[in-house]
Amino acid sequence: MGAPITEADIDRVTAALHEVYDPEVGLDIMTMGLIYRLEAGMEKVIIDMTLTTPGCPVSDSLPEEARQAAARALDPGGDDRVNLEVVWDPPWSPEMIDDDALAELGYRRVTD
Amino acid sequence: MAVTPVAPKRPPTPSGGPPITTLATPPAWLPLSWLVFAAIGLIGFGTALAIAARSVTGTPGAPTAVATVHLGMLAFLSTAVLGASHQFGPVVAGRRLRSVTAGLLTMLLWVPASWLLPFAFATHRPVLLEAAGVTAFTAVCLAAWNLSGPLLRRGRGTPVLGLRLAICYLVLTAAFGVTYTFDMHHGYFLLLPRRVLAHAHLGLLGWIGLAYVAVAEKLWPMFLLAHRPSTTAGDWAVRLVAGGVPVVVIGLLIPSVPLTSIGAGIVVAGLVGHLVSLAGVIRHRRRRMELLHGFVLTSAVMLIVAVWAAAVAGMFDLSITLRTRAIETEVFALTMWLGLAVIGHLHKIVPFITWSRMRTAGHTKAPNGRPLLFAHLVNAPAARATYALSTLGATTGIVGMAGGHVVLVGVSGAALAAAGAVALSNLVSGPLRIIAIDRRRAVASEGEPTPTKPAPTPAPPVSVS
Repeated sequence: MGAPITEADIDRVTAALHEVYDPEVGLDIMTMGLIYRLEAGMEKVIIDMTLTTPGCPVSDSLPEEARQAAARALDPGGDDRVNLEVVWDPPWSPEMIDDDALAELGYRRVTD
Repeated sequence: MAVTPVAPKRPPTPSGGPPITTLATPPAWLPLSWLVFAAIGLIGFGTALAIAARSVTGTPGAPTAVATVHLGMLAFLSTAVLGASHQFGPVVAGRRLRSVTAGLLTMLLWVPASWLLPFAFATHRPVLLEAAGVTAFTAVCLAAWNLSGPLLRRGRGTPVLGLRLAICYLVLTAAFGVTYTFDMHHGYFLLLPRRVLAHAHLGLLGWIGLAYVAVAEKLWPMFLLAHRPSTTAGDWAVRLVAGGVPVVVIGLLIPSVPLTSIGAGIVVAGLVGHLVSLAGVIRHRRRRMELLHGFVLTSAVMLIVAVWAAAVAGMFDLSITLRTRAIETEVFALTMWLGLAVIGHLHKIVPFITWSRMRTAGHTKAPNGRPLLFAHLVNAPAARATYALSTLGATTGIVGMAGGHVVLVGVSGAALAAAGAVALSNLVSGPLRIIAIDRRRAVASEGEPTPTKPAPTPAPPVSVS
């Protein structure tokens, strides 16, 4: 049995994910709204993340970078304490970016 | 504390297939080397067009005109699409090339052949022409074998299906070409204009055109950030273009006007589907218009011009001079449709491949100390200059060929060569600049710990809806 995940662990992982950037858009993946779920499981941090589009340019590397960042935040033994999955429903949209970043980037609000 | 912005469901796979594994991605040097040679090919094509403007305008069968066309088809367009296929095929299919070494060998055979063949045309060297043709054909067969590894993977959607068929048409185009090179020397049959046109349309529409129509279905939603409700138009585009091209080619070879017309109708229907797909991507984009939109929209205008010129050449009773101009205009407009698309997408693809490689090599920071982004690897004003030059080259070339204006065709060649030079220097110098800055930082901080100042981050969103 490993150590249980604490709120402090979640805070560290949250901060770590703020350091993982989408290289196309230039925002971190938390601000982008790519993290759909971040919560404590029994012994692991459970992360569901998505990408801007299926097959996006960093679809192979960004989830792995996020997983490694989370693992580092939970060291020692962080590799075994992260359960990150890529999910596609609901599809990501710019609605999920916070308003200031949205306006700065020139994204369009989805109306259809 | 738990952050639960959106309650997710868990579908097994996205519409574009499961997440791509890094294992499938070829080493960055392979596609990047191909793409560097493609940019050099664009410079060569533009230069040749400027030099041979007089023969290209009005006498398309002249050796220097044939050489110029082949330089554009082989050294620029085919080199770019082959290089991109060596990245795109494995990444999208999620399966490796059969051999990276074979990919290198293909390039080492293809690039010299793509330059020697036009040189042999221009200088009347039949033996060299045959040697270059055989070398190019060998390279094409090697590429087809190598790419068949990823592209034969089933269930990977329209882009992979279309690229698979495009590679088949590439092999056929190369087989036509090498046959024609021997025929030009030994005279087995008359190399009539309709046979030359069959070859040209097989290459332009069946190989490069189909490859673009197929790959765009993956690249556009991705790079232009669009979630379309339907991909039907794009799916039909790939199938109709792939199905119509052989009908056109057979119609030209037999020759049969009705068959050619039916084939052309099928191809045009497919190209309309391609444009409808583009309109869908633009309509459902989720970011403001950017430079790539400019490239693909201008490229689409060239396609419309090409269809219009082909219709004029095929449907109206014209003099030989006017028909020749119309066909020249069609072929050049098709070349610019694909050329502008290639140049535009290179400004997205190259930074992406380079970014991944630079991150692996430890170059993770931009000059301002923030995380390295794609945008840091391209100089935006230079990219806009490339767009302006390539659009100028395309427009003046079309007007020049349609109206028989040698000077405009010369201007077109010069503008395209300049566009190639600016694009090449821009895409190469961006990463080199970052590397140089990192080296200076390392020297400055010698003996001290590497500065790892974190980028400022906004407050975490508690909820997003």
